[in-house]
Amino acid sequence: MTHYLLRRLPSALVVLAVASFGIFAMVRMVPGDPVSTLAGPDATPEARAAIRADLGLDQPLLTQYVHWLGQLAHLDLGTSYRIGGQVKDLVADGAVNTIVLTLTALLLASLAALVCSVLAVVLDNRWVNAALSFGNTLAIALPTFVTGLVLILLFAVVLPVLPAGGTPPDGFIARPDIAAQYLLLPAVCLALGAGAALTRFLTEALRTEMRQPYVTTARALGISRRRIVLTQALRNALPSAVTVLGIQFGTLLGGAVLVEAIFTWPGLGGLIEEAISGRDYPLVQVLLLLSVTVFVVIQLLTDVVHAWLDPRIRIGGTGS
Amino acid sequence: MSESLLDVAAPEASDPDDQFDTRRRPGIWTALGRGKGLAGLILIGVVVALGLLAPLLAPHSPTEQIPGANLVGPSGAHWFGTDEVNRDILSRTLYGIRTDLLVVFLAVPIGAAIGILVGLVSSWWSFTDVIAQRVFDLVLAFPTLILAIALTAFVGPGLRTVFFVIVAVELPVFGRLTRTSVRTVREMPYVEAAHVIGAGSLWQLRRHVLPNSLEPLLVQLAVSMSVAVFIEGAMSFLGLGVRPPQPSLGSLIRDGVRNMYDAPYFAVGPLALVVALVLGLLLVSQALAEARRR
Amino acid sequence: MPRPPARPSLLRALVLALVSLLVVSSLAACSSAVKEASSGSEDSGPTDGGTLRIGSTNDIVPASIFTNSSDAANTLIGAVYDSLIDYPQDSLDPQPRLATSWEVAKDGLSITLQLRDDVTFHSGREFTSKDVEFSIKTWADPTWTVQLQRTAAAVTGFDTSDPHAITLSFDHPLSNIFDLLDMLPIIDSESFDQLKEGKAYVGTGPFVFTSWTPSSKLEFTRNDDYWGDEPHLDGIEVDIVSDPQAQVSQLRSGQLDLITGASNRDLETLGKDDSYTVTPFDGSVQQIYVGADLANPDLQDVKLRQAIAYALDRQRIVDDVFRGQGTPINLPWPDYSPAYDAKANETYAYDPDKAKELVSQLGSHPTIPLAYSAGNANYEAVAQIVQSDLEAVGIKTELQPVENSQFIKQLIGGTFGGLWILQHGYAHYTPSTLAVSAYPFNADKNASHFVDKQYKEDADAAWERVDGSDSGAVEIYQRLNKDLLDNLFLIEIALLHFTVASSDQVHDLGMSKRGELDLDAAYLSK
Repeated sequence: MTHYLLRRLPSALVVLAVASFGIFAMVRMVPGDPVSTLAGPDATPEARAAIRADLGLDQPLLTQYVHWLGQLAHLDLGTSYRIGGQVKDLVADGAVNTIVLTLTALLLASLAALVCSVLAVVLDNRWVNAALSFGNTLAIALPTFVTGLVLILLFAVVLPVLPAGGTPPDGFIARPDIAAQYLLLPAVCLALGAGAALTRFLTEALRTEMRQPYVTTARALGISRRRIVLTQALRNALPSAVTVLGIQFGTLLGGAVLVEAIFTWPGLGGLIEEAISGRDYPLVQVLLLLSVTVFVVIQLLTDVVHAWLDPRIRIGGTGS
Repeated sequence: MSESLLDVAAPEASDPDDQFDTRRRPGIWTALGRGKGLAGLILIGVVVALGLLAPLLAPHSPTEQIPGANLVGPSGAHWFGTDEVNRDILSRTLYGIRTDLLVVFLAVPIGAAIGILVGLVSSWWSFTDVIAQRVFDLVLAFPTLILAIALTAFVGPGLRTVFFVIVAVELPVFGRLTRTSVRTVREMPYVEAAHVIGAGSLWQLRRHVLPNSLEPLLVQLAVSMSVAVFIEGAMSFLGLGVRPPQPSLGSLIRDGVRNMYDAPYFAVGPLALVVALVLGLLLVSQALAEARRR
Repeated sequence: MPRPPARPSLLRALVLALVSLLVVSSLAACSSAVKEASSGSEDSGPTDGGTLRIGSTNDIVPASIFTNSSDAANTLIGAVYDSLIDYPQDSLDPQPRLATSWEVAKDGLSITLQLRDDVTFHSGREFTSKDVEFSIKTWADPTWTVQLQRTAAAVTGFDTSDPHAITLSFDHPLSNIFDLLDMLPIIDSESFDQLKEGKAYVGTGPFVFTSWTPSSKLEFTRNDDYWGDEPHLDGIEVDIVSDPQAQVSQLRSGQLDLITGASNRDLETLGKDDSYTVTPFDGSVQQIYVGADLANPDLQDVKLRQAIAYALDRQRIVDDVFRGQGTPINLPWPDYSPAYDAKANETYAYDPDKAKELVSQLGSHPTIPLAYSAGNANYEAVAQIVQSDLEAVGIKTELQPVENSQFIKQLIGGTFGGLWILQHGYAHYTPSTLAVSAYPFNADKNASHFVDKQYKEDADAAWERVDGSDSGAVEIYQRLNKDLLDNLFLIEIALLHFTVASSDQVHDLGMSKRGELDLDAAYLSK
């Protein structure tokens, strides 16, 4: 296990190292600078020079980069230029909201996929299949900004039963019932595409399983289709589904940018937009690096979990 | 954004009715003549025809500001009504299709072509292969919309930016796919044999790699085209898309959102067209993917 | 077949998650988030209690908290701080606030203010003349980039020997000294370091700052020891909702009580609905204009600028984009300003034929870029109408949506290279404030690259005098008006009013001339 992880680690680290410098340099090549957005249109040249020196932006690029790496090594993410406050706190606040939303969506997507695919395979009815397939294609084809708008229009405007956006006023813990209602629309909107993709995958994996010889044997012994699906086929199909789930998590985090914008959910998406438009270098570079790190880690974890669930890979991995 | 989502889903799709038919393997083109493929082609065809015929069908110029016609509801004179600056929404919608067609049929193929080229060339040597793979990893590590926001900071909003983003997103996707194909084909016994008898790299490429990679690339092309419509829409939704007064389906939806309460009809046409275009492309990609595995 | 331990636990986890989700959603059926967010309303006179939830478009930026640059910052300043004097909405006649009376020296080189002696900061410390000195010196510090920095810096002497009176002295007469006293919030010096970080805002105002969650919300509670009438509201919550459309959605779903960022189109719709109140504040105004960068050789010929001024159908912009909530103008001043001149204000009435004639005298000229801040629906619509109006008279333009931070950079650097669309403020104060403070009008350096000896002389003359509204001042303003109209480096379009929308539970809203919500008397009906 550890061996397998260690084998995969170096290339991941190389990507992160290259990314850190790439991001650092790119962020500073973007036209427009934090000083002008901070100082505003009426600042004197002296005021702007003072702000520039204050932020350390008068130093050479490499010096700034080394300084940043030093900070990172001490887990100090720096101070935001524009929003003010510690980058660490800002990112943590945004990340909580984004992760809660993404995990809820992931949960909804997995549940929907589990129910739909098992239903499709167990029933194995032409009409059910057609209906599921149609709904599925539609769910993938409908862009998030379309479903989001329709959901808001239906459930917050026409039938005002759910909030149109925003986060629960008392947080997620204190009033879980209220929090669930705030979460529902954005999570459904975010989960739709991922759920459809997952359903497709799982249905297909289950069908492949159902064609295996052991199923024919079991059927011949009089075991019901439902029982075979639930006890055997599902278990064998799950490992590869977990891999897809991992990829979906990354996709969902990316998709959250738009969903957060539609439902005014104050997560990382809005933060990164604000940081980029304000040229808030410390915040932008941490957020972009975080985005790369999350992707790399998810890839790594997915492979590891896949290996864990499927002993063939693990054995192959440690054996070679 | 939805790249890996569709990437995973599409090749796995299959029609349950054909599960016993494993011997017959017709050319994947025939898949477009029936069922899903045909439905998809018809949807795409209708949208494309509406876009191409815009000058004939549209009652007004897409940028003409009609005196006195401020936010008029749907009527005989203006089927979809008029917008905030007195333009005919039907005309803007028809012309807006053209912007999306440009994105779908120009930006995606450009990105694909560059990606395939990079994939082919880099995968021939292990050194370049490693570099290319890492670069692809890096680009794919950014969610599409974050990439879009960052790129817009460089070049400002506009159709050009949408193009850049689509090319940047598609390049690694096609690069990777080509690489996988090249590696698979190269490990096939007959290609190894050809190599042993001294056949050149170019010959191998032309004779074996390209023909065998064509089908997965085609499937991916259809998927990528549908994603391109998403990207244009999402970028326009965030205000990073085409510059006014040029219309696009995404920008029309954004304008419609602003008038959601009093003019819900505003966005209906563009929304329907976006869904039709994405759905059509998706169906085609599914049909092609299913045909491949038969 | 032996079961590997991992798989069932995965399944079990999923089932568990399903069950917990069901529990939560059945709980959800008991209490509705929407119902909790809103409640019925019936107005029966001022009542105490309740938290007013305000939707704001822009979050505060601690480093530019005094620059009037965001609606949330304006609400914060208005709620937490007091100024020395207050201008009424529709005049420039100072009214007492923290200062009870004042006297300007005959030579105009000093002013003595008597201060209230019953005022304490939220920290409990007593308010004294030292705090006035500290606040003015803070505004004079260029790092805060306050618009009135030049005026604050012109205050050079502070006599604080009496804790409840202060004498300020100047190097030259300041016709706009009361503008400074109206705009300047009295800041607590002890908590100033925390103010810089956005951690504490301590003032003497009706509400106490309690917390700020960046890009999410600001919270305030009632100041129980307020020296004036105690506010009715228990507190204020400012929610940052950057999308105007989302603000409207949240007002409609009862998550917000008041929104400051709704588009004029939405305001019009909300105004027709009995459940909402739309309140325009006539005294707090902004002007939308087309700026011209004279560094562009094509724009150097004043005839082209005149053609643009004649070509603009200002009434249509006011009607279609601002839904009638505005006034077409040629000069920035509102009608109560001493510089207001009804006749001059119509110098360039809509006349496309005259514009065409001027253009035909010019010969050929290339396409001119027309920049505006991307993502702002009003600017986008105005830009498209301006483009269409100009095209009708033969002036071709290319629209350039520019991302906000770059837009400001271009404004500072004067690198537009063409035309741009933006709003400016400050014309509803003493006219000299506009000429020495508002960036597009700054006679020393402005985004138009307009340098003119006469204009600078007139601007300084208006500033460095004792009285900003006597007949001598009006004479200078007439010269200033002529400078503006003859040179047209900035082509005014319309005068706009701050307007907010609120649920019908919100009553007695006010707004200061500074554009800050005045919630001293506001209350929520049950």
